[in-house]
Amino acid sequence: MTTETATRHIGKSISRVDGLEKTTGELKYLSDLLLENSCHGKVLRAAHPHARITRIDTAKAEALPGVVCVLTHRHVRGLNRFGIAQPDMPVLCEDKVRYVGDAVALVAAETEEIAKDALALIEVGYDVLPVVDDPERALEPGAPPVHAKGNLLHENGVAKGDVARGFAESDVVIGHRFRTQMYAHAFLEIEAGTAIHDEKTGVITVWCAGQYPYRDQLQIARALGWDPEKVHVIASPIGGAFGGKDEITIQIYLALLALHTQGRPVRLQLTREESMEAGTKRHPFIIDFKAGAAKDGTFKALEVEMVSDAGAYATLSGPVMNLAIEGASGPYLWPHTKIHGRAAYTNNGFSGAFRGFGTTQSCYAGEQIFDMIAGQLGMDPIDLRLKNALRRGDISAMNHEIWTSVGIRETLLVAKESRLWRERHARRGEFAPPLFYGVGVASEFQATGLGKGIPDFAGSHCDLEAGGTVVVRVGGIEMGTGVMTAYCQMAAEALGLGMEQVRIVAGDTEETPDSGTTTASRSIYMIGNAVTRAAKALRKVLEAFVAEHWGDGHTLEPGGVFRRDGVSLGLAQIAQRAASLGTRLRGEGHFVHPEADKDFGDGLPHIMYSYCTQVASVIVDAETGEVRVDEVLSIPDAGRAINPQGIEGQSDGGVVMGASYALLEEVLMKGGRFVNANFTNYTLPTAVDCPRRIDTVIVEVPEPTHEWGAKGIGETVTVPICPAICNAVYDAIGIRFFEIPITPERLTAALDANPECKAMRAMRGVGLA
Amino acid sequence: MLSSIPITFTLNGQRRTVEAPPEQCAGDLLRDGLGLTGTKLDCREGECGSCTVIFNGEPACSCLMTAAQLEGAEVITVEGVGAPGTPHAVQRGFVLEGAVQCGHCIPGMIVSAVSLLERNPAPSEDEIRYAIAGNICRCTGYAKIVSAIQRAAEILAGEQAPAAVR
Ligand code: FES
Ligand code: FES
Repeated sequence: MTTETATRHIGKSISRVDGLEKTTGELKYLSDLLLENSCHGKVLRAAHPHARITRIDTAKAEALPGVVCVLTHRHVRGLNRFGIAQPDMPVLCEDKVRYVGDAVALVAAETEEIAKDALALIEVGYDVLPVVDDPERALEPGAPPVHAKGNLLHENGVAKGDVARGFAESDVVIGHRFRTQMYAHAFLEIEAGTAIHDEKTGVITVWCAGQYPYRDQLQIARALGWDPEKVHVIASPIGGAFGGKDEITIQIYLALLALHTQGRPVRLQLTREESMEAGTKRHPFIIDFKAGAAKDGTFKALEVEMVSDAGAYATLSGPVMNLAIEGASGPYLWPHTKIHGRAAYTNNGFSGAFRGFGTTQSCYAGEQIFDMIAGQLGMDPIDLRLKNALRRGDISAMNHEIWTSVGIRETLLVAKESRLWRERHARRGEFAPPLFYGVGVASEFQATGLGKGIPDFAGSHCDLEAGGTVVVRVGGIEMGTGVMTAYCQMAAEALGLGMEQVRIVAGDTEETPDSGTTTASRSIYMIGNAVTRAAKALRKVLEAFVAEHWGDGHTLEPGGVFRRDGVSLGLAQIAQRAASLGTRLRGEGHFVHPEADKDFGDGLPHIMYSYCTQVASVIVDAETGEVRVDEVLSIPDAGRAINPQGIEGQSDGGVVMGASYALLEEVLMKGGRFVNANFTNYTLPTAVDCPRRIDTVIVEVPEPTHEWGAKGIGETVTVPICPAICNAVYDAIGIRFFEIPITPERLTAALDANPECKAMRAMRGVGLA
Repeated sequence: MLSSIPITFTLNGQRRTVEAPPEQCAGDLLRDGLGLTGTKLDCREGECGSCTVIFNGEPACSCLMTAAQLEGAEVITVEGVGAPGTPHAVQRGFVLEGAVQCGHCIPGMIVSAVSLLERNPAPSEDEIRYAIAGNICRCTGYAKIVSAIQRAAEILAGEQAPAAVR
C-alpha cells in the first residue's frame, strides 16, 4: 500500500454525489423523459433469423388512424449501416434479415397501442434462408453465408518464441477444449429515449442512454446523411450498461422518427423481451487451451485457439477477440506462445462489448488449465501463479514490454496469506457427504484502454461558475460505476475544495467536451487524468485572475479562499467579477493514452492492464447438484484507490455477476431464436441466492502515468471469479467442468458419469430413475 | 383508444383524482400520468421489483396492477418515502453504505426496505435478503444493500445518531 501525503478526498470513501437523487427517485433518467405532445414509436423486428426480404408494404399501417409515420430503409437517407468497429448492421433492413432482432420498419403513432397495432399491419415478404447457428460450422466451406463476404468476421493471432520447442521442454503439458455460453447484460434500465427535431434550428436532440455520446452522434449523423453538428446527443445518466449500451441501441431510430413527426417529440421504449433479443450479448466461445510447464512450475509454452460466435453483426467482435487473445496468457511470463482466434458470423443474435471484453472467456479456460498444471505438479496453485507472475518491465506473451505498473504479485500474496486460503484444507472436515467443500483461486490480466493505434483521448473542462461553484465537464457518462464521484474527488483535491463546491456535467455533445467512450476500464485513468489536469489548469487561471484584479501575493487556501494579509477573497466573489467582465474562468485538461512500443496491428497490444486475484470457497451438494458460493475474497490492484467504497461496490457486483456466469445464467437459443428472452425465464441472481460474503482487499501499486496513481478496476473484478469457482468445484468434488454454467443438471450428470459418485448417489436414493 | 375514467386514491398521503384508462398499467399512470418517475418499469412482468410501491400497506408490483385497482387505495411511492432535503433513514442508509450504483433498482429496493422495517424493525441478514429477493439488482451484488438496510434499522432505532449525508 502506498502512503501519500495527506489528501482530503483522494483515497476516502466519500458518499456518491448522486446518492440522494437516486435513493429518492429524484434523478431523471433519459428513459423517464416524456415531453408534452409526444408520439410513440415502435420497431418491427425480423420474423425470421435468416431470410431474404422480398417486399415490404406499409400501406395498411399508414392508413390506420392515429399513425403518424411508418418508416423503412427507404427513409434512411445516409448510410443504412451502423457499427462501432465495422458498420455492417442495417439501421432498417433492405434486402435481408440476419437475426430476430433486426429492425425492418419503424412506426410512430399517437399512442403505443396504436403503434403496436400498426406493426401488425406492415406486410413483409420473406424467403427463408437456412439458419447458421454454430460458429465452427459457420466457418466450414459451403456454410450458408450470413454476409456476402462470408462468415469469417475477424481473425487474429500473436506468437512469441517457438511453441513446439516450448512444449518439448515442458515436463507437463495439459490441454482441453472449453465452451462458454451466451450471456445477457440484463442491465435494469431498458433501452428507451426521446428525440425531437427543432424545425427552426434544424437540430435533432436525442435523449438516450449510451456509453459514448460523441460516437452516437456520429453514427446518427452518418445514417441521416447529416452534419454531426446538427445532432445533439444527451447520453447520461444510465441505469446500467456493462457494455450493452456501447453500440447504438435505439438512437438512430429515435432520430429517424423525429424527422417524420412534424416537429413533435417522439418517445421509444423497448420491452424487456425486445431488449434481450435485439441487444448486445456476451460471445459464446469455443476455446482449445494448451499449456506446458517445467517440473518446478516455470511456464514454458502456451497455445490457444479460439472461435467466437459473433452473431449477425460485427460491432466489437473483432476487438473482443483481440482482448481474448491478449488476456489468454494471464498475468504470467511465457517464453513461447501461439494464440489465435476467429470470430464467426451466425444468426444467433449478436454479441459485442461486455464487461471483461473477451478476457472473461480466455481467463475462464486458462485459469483452469493452470490449476490442472499445479495439480499435476503437486504445487500450491498460488505458488505456481507467483512463480510465473509478471513484473513491471517483463516481455508479454505477445512480445512487448509492459512498462506500466504491475500489481499481480501483490494480489497473489494477499490471497496466499488470507484466512480463506490458509484454512482451506482444515474447513473441508466440517462437511459430510452429500456436502463437499472446496476452495479455488484465479487471477486476471485485463487490457484497458483502446489499444495500439486507436485514438484514445479524453478531455475535460473545469469552470468557475456563478456562486463560486466549480463545474467539471466530461463527455463520459455515469452508468453506475461511481466515476462522477471520483471525478469530483479528483477535481476538489486538485483545487483544494470541498466536495460540495464541485458539480459535474456529463455526457452531452453540446455541453461537454469529448472524453471518449466509457468502456475498457478507462474512465478513472483517462478521464480522471483529464479532469485533474483541467482542475490544475483552472487553479492557474484563478491565480492569474486574482493577481490581475486584486494584486499579487494571494495564496489559495483550502475551501477555495484566496488570502492576503488576513483579507480573504472567495470563489463567489471571483466568479462575480469574472461574470461582470464577461471573462470565462476555465481550465482545460486533456490526456492521450500512452501506447505500447510495438504494433501488432488491429489495436494490439495494449500497454495498461488491470490485475486481480479472487479466491472463492464453494459448498457442493452432491444430492441436488447445487453449488453454493460460500465466501469470496476479491483482490484488485487499483493503482491507487480514489474511492475505496466505490471499488468495494464494483467488486461486490462484479463477483456476483461472475459467479452467475459460472453457475447460473445462460441465454438459450434454438435455430436462431431466443428461448429465454425475458426475466421470467432468464434467471438472474437475487439477494438470497448470490454469494453472501464478499471481502475486498484493495492492493495499490501506483501507476506513474496517472495523476494520482490510479487505474480502472471495473472489469477485472468480474473475471477471475468464474474460474476460481470452477477450480473450487474441482477442489470439492474432483470434477472439472469444461462448459459453463455449472448448473445442477450438469453437475449431477457429471457425478452420475463417475461410477463411484453414481454408486454413492444411488445409495442415498438420488440421481437414479 | 381506451376511454378514461376518474380514479380517486391516496398518493403519498394526498388524496387525488386522476383521469386514466382503467386498464392502464398503474406504473405507467404513476410515471407518465403523474410524473412520479421514481418508480421504474424494468420488466413489466413482476420479476424485477423496480416498480415496487406500498399499496394499502404492503409492497406490490405496480406493473402488475391496473389504474382501476388504485381506486380507493393508499399508495406510497419512493417519492413519498423521502426527498433529497428530507431523506428517510433507509435512503440515508443506502447513501452512507454506498449501496447505490446505477440506481435503477434502488427506488424499488428502498420501498421494499421501508416496508420491511415497518413490519420488522430489527431484521436479521436472512430476513433482509428474503425481503428484497423480489428486487433484482444487476450492479451491487446486494452486499452493500443488505448493510444499508441494517444501517437504516440502526438509525431508526436511534442506536446511532443519524450521520449527515453530503
Ligand atoms: S416492472 Fe414490475 S416487477 Fe419488473
Ligand atoms: S444499482 Fe444498478 S441495478 Fe441496482
